[in-house]
Amino acid sequence: MQSETENRVQPLDILLDTLPKESTSDPNGLHLAKLITNISNKRVPTSSFSRIWTLGSLQAKVTAGYFAYWLRSRFVDADEKQRLKSEAHLAAALELFGTMGYLRGAVMKIGQLLANLPEVVPDEFAEVLSALHFEAPPMHFAMVREVFLDEFGREPEEVFAAFDRQAFAAASLGQVHRARLHSGEEVAVKIQYPGIARTIKADLRNLRLLLQPLCLTKDWQNTLEKLADIEQMLLMETDYEQEARFGKDARLFFTVDDRVVVPRVYDEYSTKRVLTTEYLRGCHLDEFLAGNPSQAERDHFTHLLTVATFRLFYRLRWLTADPHPGNFIFMEDGRLGLIDFGCTRVMTDEDWLLSCESIAAVLDRDEPRLNRAIAKACLFDDPQEMSAHHLETIRDGFYWFMEPWVQEGVFDFGDREFFLRGIDNFMEGVRKRYTRCVSMALWSNRFTLGGRAFCYRLKGRCEFRKIFKQEAVGVHQR
Amino acid sequence: MRISEQAKQESRSRILEKAAELFTSNGFDNTTTRDIALAAGLATGTMFNYFPSKETLGMTMVTEALGHGTDDFKSRRTGEEDLNEDLFLFITSGLRRLQPLRPFLGPVLERSLSAFPRKNVCLEGEAARSGHLEAVQEIISRHGFTTAPDYVAMTIYWSLYLGILAYWTNDESPNQEDSKGLIDYSMQFFVQVISGNGANTGGEHAE
Repeated sequence: MQSETENRVQPLDILLDTLPKESTSDPNGLHLAKLITNISNKRVPTSSFSRIWTLGSLQAKVTAGYFAYWLRSRFVDADEKQRLKSEAHLAAALELFGTMGYLRGAVMKIGQLLANLPEVVPDEFAEVLSALHFEAPPMHFAMVREVFLDEFGREPEEVFAAFDRQAFAAASLGQVHRARLHSGEEVAVKIQYPGIARTIKADLRNLRLLLQPLCLTKDWQNTLEKLADIEQMLLMETDYEQEARFGKDARLFFTVDDRVVVPRVYDEYSTKRVLTTEYLRGCHLDEFLAGNPSQAERDHFTHLLTVATFRLFYRLRWLTADPHPGNFIFMEDGRLGLIDFGCTRVMTDEDWLLSCESIAAVLDRDEPRLNRAIAKACLFDDPQEMSAHHLETIRDGFYWFMEPWVQEGVFDFGDREFFLRGIDNFMEGVRKRYTRCVSMALWSNRFTLGGRAFCYRLKGRCEFRKIFKQEAVGVHQR
Repeated sequence: MRISEQAKQESRSRILEKAAELFTSNGFDNTTTRDIALAAGLATGTMFNYFPSKETLGMTMVTEALGHGTDDFKSRRTGEEDLNEDLFLFITSGLRRLQPLRPFLGPVLERSLSAFPRKNVCLEGEAARSGHLEAVQEIISRHGFTTAPDYVAMTIYWSLYLGILAYWTNDESPNQEDSKGLIDYSMQFFVQVISGNGANTGGEHAE
């Protein structure tokens, strides 16, 4: 136990070293270190299903570190008096943060995301992150049975011909068990933690309260709107009936020849809290990479992923805002499985037009038009209202996003230089706090960075532009 | 004229059934023994031969429900459960059977299961308590505890259980799902107490 503790202290030091520092008020990061140590030594009572994310855990410290940094960066321009006041708020905020249930888990997705972006952070830190488990420990089987009795009035073994007691995967809001239907089909059964939706609502209410002191800073209204948006998305993830509808819609858009599979949803075995889908035999990214796949195999899956993403984007106007490696299955027969539609954002007409306008502007090499679209996305009436650096940063980011769209032939997503340029641009935007934007941008950023990081790790290539042209037929006529 | 055993049983069932209906629609406190006798088609005096008080009536329903719950538990358990899970299954099986009584359970449990000294001890309540604790002891011994837990451990268990019952009867979350978290935690805590580990370190959830 002792040696285990020692082993775990070290990564925290590494983390503190690698966290961004404030050059003026806290150049050595000592203050930040003290804050994190303070909160991580606090014992916060855990409650119901939030037990997983106790504040004492390293995962929580990592996340709290980023959270502290983020909150504090809001006060970077404040004078000394204001800063002291804000530090007090920050301490209070962190304490409250420790009592949250789901949100701690949600914020921990930042950690998860960073773990998937190994180039953003120094190697040591990337290792620390990937060694952490950002997932909840499982509900015991007796709890699963309770959920079944509430949802179906029957035991899992009665509902199914066979049902595995042990979950085989964790889902963001629950866990997944394998089972077999009476008709013989193998299925994956996702079961939600009881009470998670109410926890999310309570968390966001708390978060809004703790952010109150920020209400005089600029862009407060935009922050509030984004929070409302995040809440809506999180609550959507708790609605398995909705997810089932997304899955069924998506399934209609792929044929056998596409080699992309969206698992079939079994309605009679699904409810708001239990989702039963066809079980896809295969593995996730890490296991796929561990098998040392050939370049042709990597390219093959990159091609399928690109087709799938474009298909959902152009036919259904969807942003699958959680392109987490766990959502893709590398199937044994070479097909790609898409398994999680819980975090799907359907673009509004307005979002869609803005998105098409920006893409068309780049394809047509019309920079003034692109500038106008960017201003709109950043909630300015005119590009002139943005500082030159702001406009340039966002525009560079968009050009980076569009690079594969304009390049003829094969595009290599494993190109380190390309990937790093995108990440640098993103980090620059975060550093300068160019965060004001339409809420859609929040999801399209996750969508883009997550997808690019996935393909980068896959070291895959594909004829991106050609696929785009095939999939976007009728949208960008030229 | 002697009434047959079968007729007695029928009267008893009818009283329980009508009482449950009245308790549910009018509340436990607003229902009188007279109302129940009337609904069951008996003289009040005759009804007292079956159930000496309204509390006994209510508690009889609880005891029967919990008895069915224990049977359910025995048939549901697979033998693969650990102690915490076993106790969780035991308690939730009982609560499922208590579910129909939930609307009027508060005052019944308060009067018949109160842990404080009372003038009139409810015999049915005492029987329910000892039956429940015996079942718990049986579960514990199945998990390798050779000596029965002492009065401290069993008092802790009973306090937790009463707390769960009290919370559950007031739980407004869908399907009383908040109570399930409470049961899970309560049993984890109890298992830690009788196992003598983890009590001060936060167990598996602490670093």
